[in-house]
This record gives sequence, structure tokens and C-alpha cells, in this order.
Amino acid sequence: MKKFVYTAFSGAALTMSLLLNSCVSNTDSPGLEYAPDMYRTPGIETFVDYGEVRGREHKAWKGRLSAMTPPRNTIPFYGTDSSEVKLMLPYFRKPNVAFRETHGLYGWDYSSADEYTLAVGDKNPLLLSATTSEAVLTKGKELFTAMCQHCHGEKGDGNGPMVLSGAYAGVPNYVGLAATEGQMFYSIYYGKGMMGAHGSILNKKEIWTIIHHIRRLQDANYGKFDASGAAVVATVSDTTNAN
Amino acid sequence: MEISNIQSLKRIKSLAYVAITIGLIAFSNFASAQGEGLFKAKCATCHMTHKNSTGPKLAGVKAKWAAGGAKEGSIYQWVNNWQTAAANDPYAAEVSKWSPTAMSAFPDLKKEEIDAILDWVDAQPDPALVAPVPPGGADAAGATNVALEEESNSWVWLIMGIIFVVVIMAVGGVRRQLKLATSENEAEAEKMTYGEELRALAWKYRLQVGLVSLVVVISLFVGLFQSLYSINIMEGYQPSQPIVFPHAQHAGINGIDCKYCHNTVAKSKSASIPSVNVCMNCHKQIDGEGKEYAPQIKKIYAAAGWDKEGMKYTGKTDPIVWNKVHVLPEHVYFNHSQHVVVGGIDCKQCHGDMTQMTETAKVQPVEELNKIEGNIKLTRKTLTMGWCIECHGKKDVAIGNGKNGYYDEIHRRLKQDPKLYAQYLNNDGKVTANELGGWECAKCHY
Repeated sequence: MKKFVYTAFSGAALTMSLLLNSCVSNTDSPGLEYAPDMYRTPGIETFVDYGEVRGREHKAWKGRLSAMTPPRNTIPFYGTDSSEVKLMLPYFRKPNVAFRETHGLYGWDYSSADEYTLAVGDKNPLLLSATTSEAVLTKGKELFTAMCQHCHGEKGDGNGPMVLSGAYAGVPNYVGLAATEGQMFYSIYYGKGMMGAHGSILNKKEIWTIIHHIRRLQDANYGKFDASGAAVVATVSDTTNAN
Repeated sequence: MEISNIQSLKRIKSLAYVAITIGLIAFSNFASAQGEGLFKAKCATCHMTHKNSTGPKLAGVKAKWAAGGAKEGSIYQWVNNWQTAAANDPYAAEVSKWSPTAMSAFPDLKKEEIDAILDWVDAQPDPALVAPVPPGGADAAGATNVALEEESNSWVWLIMGIIFVVVIMAVGGVRRQLKLATSENEAEAEKMTYGEELRALAWKYRLQVGLVSLVVVISLFVGLFQSLYSINIMEGYQPSQPIVFPHAQHAGINGIDCKYCHNTVAKSKSASIPSVNVCMNCHKQIDGEGKEYAPQIKKIYAAAGWDKEGMKYTGKTDPIVWNKVHVLPEHVYFNHSQHVVVGGIDCKQCHGDMTQMTETAKVQPVEELNKIEGNIKLTRKTLTMGWCIECHGKKDVAIGNGKNGYYDEIHRRLKQDPKLYAQYLNNDGKVTANELGGWECAKCHY
């Protein structure tokens, strides 16, 4: 009899504890909070949008307003350094109308001219000098590793891990590429062929920095300066800037 | 041995046949190798063999042009310069309307080279006709079974509990009947209600009942405090997502840097969930056709407004509503760029090794994070204040290395106060974040 009472009690206790445990193991629930009204902001914060308007939750709005494209013609603040601000002003070349269907660039201002061809003479406004060159190229390599390397490969030969794993095909080799640096910029900014537009995730300064690194991949002497301070590859510093 | 003229002629003839055959085989091998090389160098950026991409698929294109009534040799002219071909041949002019993207001119390619390319392309098998083997099909089934077992476990216990209660009641009833039947003083026994009887029983076994109640009360208290401690513990939070996104495939196998998709991590407070155009940078080509994950990629196409058949964007977009996994309360300020750029903290310190994460993202328990090589080992639960504070107390700040002006200035001032500097270093030989104000309330709460 005694044994039975013990078994009954321990059995009940075990059942209860397991039941309680199973309540909190739902991975879809973030669990209990101390004071939800202090934790959850009615204002919209990036990617945390509870769809709350004046104390009421709007399910249809939940999470939809927080990740939006900035309004047209707004310019991000880049500080007060005039050369930097000039570099960061919107890209003066426009996409062609065809970019709507090929690269999804709806709602832009379009150009009827073949701007890719026109970009042939655009020059990198980020000038390299004997003192700044290596720092810019190091930054360029860092950006390239994060943004380009998975397709274009560490050496720029078009054999990135994505291509080697068989997931993606048709990435060109930088060596022998017909594009000039102005056309590289246009292609990175608005996309070209299968490559998407990267203007939304890289700013102009970053793209020009990456282009310096791409040119180093094409020519190992690019951006190197000899003892007298003259560029080894002649085209490094050009005074005609493109913006 | 003498050989007649005719015999020797025959022999030479057969030898010549062999030589020609070998030569032909060698040449065709050479031609196909040449075709493959040229295709990959010149065409593969825009064309695929059996699938439309930036340009149309190239398999059977020669036959198609011939069947479509193209002029003789017009296809070679097209490759050299499509505009010349379009001006000369109405079929080529029709072809030029396939896409608004103009084909590059390849004036250097000779007729034989173009033939080599197209012959190589035609010799390639169509991957769509090769039956795909669903990878990991068995694994997936196994995983579901495990989940089902875990689910059913709690039901087993519930059913067992109910059976226990029923058994207790039944035995109690039988006991009562037996007692009534054997009772000497029926009138007295008749008077006792269930409650009275239970009390009598409890009194009889008062030691045992007391001990058991003590255990129950203590365990209830422990349970209460445990559940109180679990309030606001986010560990294990793994919300379901609109698209089952495997990080292991993207960041692991395909080697995409975290910063490509979460590209504001070095610039902004938030690491950002990629907008769908970033997905489309790769998925414009990778449509997963014939794979088990194709329906997931269809959702991206619906969100981006990509018409896969027509190979064009329709402009009808619909945002993907992802569920944020690592959510901090509103009264906590956390800045990604400060930690990633200035602090030099790797993503995996807080988010775990995403290159191995085959499921959707989740808040990794601190034990999992501690297993990762190079991580600062912490004891408090992930995403709690204790966890932040603990790390601020352990993480050394690289001051005075000339990389960060703010810390260089701190270093300069510290050097003027050797006593304080020595005090900072004495505890652990390094300057940690808390010694530079990392434990100030207003660092994160304002």
C-alpha cells in the first residue's frame, strides 16, 4: 500500500513536470517576457515591425514596412568631407529601359542611349598614389572577398566556390575581359547579363575600390609605384574623374 | 619474302585507312576539346547548353536556324556581328528580338571554331532528361520520424498519468467496498464519508504523507523558480520562416561570405535581412528545376516578380516577410558595426557556425557557441544581459595598434596615467571592454 502511494505520487509529479516542459519547447515561441510593452516598440525599427498602430496590431502590416527601399531621390549622409561627398553623389549614368526586364530596375530614370558603351571612357575617381595605393588595394581585396569572390574566385578567374560546387556557371575570367573600368562600374552598379545589380548593396566608393582590386587581379603590377614614385602601370592616376 | 606490287599496294592502302581513321578520331577529339574551351571562354557567360539564360540555349541552335529558314552561313555572320546578320537575313532579324540584351560581337571567331563550339554543345546530354536522384531523401524521412517520436513522448506520459489516476480511484473504491463489507460496526462505517476516510488514512500514514508533501512542495518551488528564470531566455528560439533557408548550402558549400547577404553589418546597427534582389543575384540562374527545393525558389521568384519562362522581371513584387530570430528588447541598444568593425568580433561568436546550419536560423544555446573554436567561452544564456556583460568583461580591446583613432586616443591617455593602465592590465594582462566603459549602463540603455 505504501509503495503504491509513493508510485502514484512520483508518477503524477513526473507527468506534471514533463507536461510543463513540453509547453516551453515550442521553437516558434520566443518564450515568456517580463514586460512585453517595454520590450516591443510600437515605432518601426529595422526588421522589427510588430505592425502596431495606436495600440492595435495590424496583422497584414506586420513585418512589411520595415525593410523598404529608401524613397526616390534621397541621398544618404556621408559626412562633410567634400571630396567624399562628391564621390558619393548619385551615379550620373542611367540604366537603359531594358534593365527593367533584365535586372528588375523598375522605377528608375532611364536613358535611351547605350550607356554601357558610353561608360567606356569613365575613369576611377579614387586616385592612387605611392602612399595610399596599398591601403586602397587592401580594402579593395577585403570588399572583393566579401562581395565578389564566391562567384568570380579569389584570383578573378571565374572559378569561385559557387562555380566549383557546380551551383553556378558562366562566370568570365577577368584576364582578357574587354570591359574598361568605367564599364566595370556600370556593370557592377546596374548588373550585366546574369549578374544582378549591386548598386543596392555597395556604395560608389566601395565599387571603385573593388575595381582597383579587379585591375590588380588583371595585372599584378597595377597600383604599384617604383622608387621614384612613378606608377608602374601608366593608367593608374588619371585626372579626368568620372562621377 | 617477296611481295608483289599489288600486295604491297593493298597493305599501304589499309595502313592509310588506319592512319586516316586515327587521324579523324584525334581531330574530332581535338575539335570537341577546342569547342568546349571556346564555349567556356566566349559563350558561357551568357549562354547555357540546355537552358535559356541571358541568351537562348545553344543546343540544337544550328538545326533550329536551318529549320527556321535562315540563310546559309547567316549563323556565322551572327556570331561575328549580330547586327550585320540581322540586316542581311530576316530570320536573324527575328532572332534579335529574343531579348532586349544585345549579344556581344565576336569578330575573331572563325567558321570552323563556331562549328566546333556548336558541335560540342550538341554533343552534350540534356541534364533535364537525366533522372535526378533526390539527395538526402532518406535523411529527411529519418528526421521527421525523430520529431514524431519526440512529439508522441509527452502523450505517452499524459496517458500514463491518466491511467494512474484511474487506477488510484478504482482501487480506492474497491477498498472502500471491501471495508464496508468486513466492517463490524456497520453504522459507524456507514457514517464515514470519502473525505473523512481520506483524512483518517492520511493520519494513519502521517509520516509518509508529510514527507511526500514536503517533496512535492519543494519541487513546486524549484519548478516555479526555474520557470521564472526561463523568462526572457531566447535560447533555442527558431521561428519558422516563409522560406526554408539552409545556411549550410549558401555559406558553407557555396562559400558565400556572410557580409554579401547581410551587407549592412559593417555599416549599420542592423545586420540586415537581404532584400530579394540580393537573392536574385544568384537565383536568376539557379532555379532548382527538378530539385526538391524548387518550390522554395519559386517563392523568391514570386517575391521578386521574376517570370522564369519569359526570363524577365514583371515588376510585380511582394516582400518576403521573414521572422527576426535574434530580437533584443527595445530598451537595449545593440550596434552590429561597432562589434564587427571596431571590436573585430566574428559572426560565429554570437550566431554560431552558420556554415554547418542545415535548418533555419536559431538562437544557439551558449553551450553550442562555446564548442566553436576561437569563440570566447561564456557561461550565461545566449542573448541575456549576463551574457553581454560577461563577454564585455573577457574580450580584450586592441588599443594603440593604430587601426582605430578612438582607441588610439584612449591608449595615449592611458599612457599618461601608468597607475590606471597597470591596474587595467594587472587583472588579466589585457585591457577588456568593461575597463573602457563596457559596463556603463548608458552604453546600451538610454
